[in-house]
Amino acid sequence: MTTATKYDRRMYAIMNDRAPAPMYATATRRRVVIGAHLLLTAAGFAAWATTIFSDARWPLFAMLAVLPLWMVATGVINGATRGLLELRSRMLDERQLAERDRVHAVAHRITGVLLLLAAVGAGAAGWLGDVRVEGLVSPVLFAVLTVHLLMPLWVAGLRIQDDPTED
Amino acid sequence: MSEQVHNRLAVVRAERKVSRQALAETVGVHYQTIGYIERGQYNPSLDLALKIARFFELPVEALFSLEPFRPLTDEVYGRKQQ
Repeated sequence: MTTATKYDRRMYAIMNDRAPAPMYATATRRRVVIGAHLLLTAAGFAAWATTIFSDARWPLFAMLAVLPLWMVATGVINGATRGLLELRSRMLDERQLAERDRVHAVAHRITGVLLLLAAVGAGAAGWLGDVRVEGLVSPVLFAVLTVHLLMPLWVAGLRIQDDPTED
Repeated sequence: MSEQVHNRLAVVRAERKVSRQALAETVGVHYQTIGYIERGQYNPSLDLALKIARFFELPVEALFSLEPFRPLTDEVYGRKQQ
């Protein structure tokens, strides 16, 4: 950590702040936060997609209402991982770097399967249903992109072990 | 493929009254990493194992082993393993 910048040290301090630790102290609490984050992401994405792909304007306000809660949940998960995915590599030790690699590998496998399911699902909807596949491409791609970006965070949050009791 | 590396880090750390935080700061890792090593959930690199051994002024084989450690009392008082 000898080359740490002021920004690195600030981020490290934020990510290792113990004040919000009770929110993610147990596996159950972490699962609840991640579940809430999933729901908020789905709600936010649905509102955003409705805003973009329809003329309705009310979903924009729904998205703005969801956004602050989503940011808090994201912060809690990042705090639980001690900034595993947010800190620069030079601020992580060897175990954290290995864990980050494992998280990305697991997330990559999961999103690969989801991408396949999305492609097959969109194709099947066009083939079997009365749906234009061209109309599905954009929302499905954005949905998969959102999952692709957030899956490492969810995986990292679920893989955390409880802190051992203090000495 | 990775083999289980046994360690008696928790015992030695408790005996020397060293906190995880103090050990972690000295050897340059996150304090959680010390807990992961003690629980056998992470095998340290050779570099880190040597740094930890140097901190306690012990040979690395006194702290880490591929075989399970005998209890310290057995080693001190020479009780034969069953």
